[in-house]
Amino acid sequence: MASTMTRGTRAGFVASLALVPSVFVYGTVFGGLAVQAGLRAVEVWGMSLLVFAGAAQFVAVPMIAAGASPLAIVVTTYVVNMRHYLMAATLAPAFRAFPRGWLALVAHLLNDESFAVAVARQNPPDPWVYIGSAVAVFGAFLAGVLVGTQLGGLVADPARWGLDFAFPAVFLALVAVQLRGRAEWLIALASATLAVAIALVLPGNWHIVITGVVVSGVAALLLSPEPA
Amino acid sequence: MRADVWLVIGGMAIVTYLTRAPLLLALARRPLPPRLRLWLRLIPLAVLPALALPLILVDHGRLAVSLAHPPLWGAIVVVALASRRVNLLATVAAAVATVAVLRALG
Repeated sequence: MASTMTRGTRAGFVASLALVPSVFVYGTVFGGLAVQAGLRAVEVWGMSLLVFAGAAQFVAVPMIAAGASPLAIVVTTYVVNMRHYLMAATLAPAFRAFPRGWLALVAHLLNDESFAVAVARQNPPDPWVYIGSAVAVFGAFLAGVLVGTQLGGLVADPARWGLDFAFPAVFLALVAVQLRGRAEWLIALASATLAVAIALVLPGNWHIVITGVVVSGVAALLLSPEPA
Repeated sequence: MRADVWLVIGGMAIVTYLTRAPLLLALARRPLPPRLRLWLRLIPLAVLPALALPLILVDHGRLAVSLAHPPLWGAIVVVALASRRVNLLATVAAAVATVAVLRALG
């Protein structure tokens, strides 16, 4: 157990190094923007520690600055984060051996990048790979936010350096290594097409939740449960 | 201490935790029926392209499929390298560099 733990955690941590610079830079951008929008540094740190959901935080800060109603901000946050339900359901079987207290803590670290890294290696994933990745991403984001609130954003325009592309690059690379047969190709292509189509008409993160449920659900009904 | 801001942060933290914890806690102990297991196994394959492709092909609510769109070339670099089992860090670094260079030239 101890050696699986160390090896898995290290593997997850190392696999996430591709993301650490971008997550860190985005943390600095978020910290810088939030302070410029009028939030106090301690509020920005508190939000990053307690909410730890980059996309939702980027959406919430201008709403707070504009004096939007707390209910509207909280509901928006919930909708943006609904994709976590899918990821939590997928990760759950890997954590069978974990005490509930651990699970409650592990749940808070759930993020797109660590989910992607863990499930692309094997599914159900190695829980320690997920934990190693989550620690790397959590640490990089919080360190970035700390630096950003102090310096007002380290890199003013991450897109200029292509750093925004690190996120789709990781997700796409992790799809590419899973394309073993015709069924996998069909699922990935159907999902890509549907997600783009929905993203063009619906704002927010709806395309992720809808595509994730519909495409995998239809595929699970059509394929036979045992093989592959 | 601004109570209204902390109220919003607290609300955001609670609803976000409610998207993360319940299914992780509820499904961790239970043996799942085969078709549900198949479904959960297929979710990543459906979720990953849904995360990636809109970030690459949708720009400010419009479809951006043009040779002058740097992320398209970045995506080609990713698929070319990742399908040859090039290490993730190197793949992402090459893609980020490609996008940065094309943006600097454009």
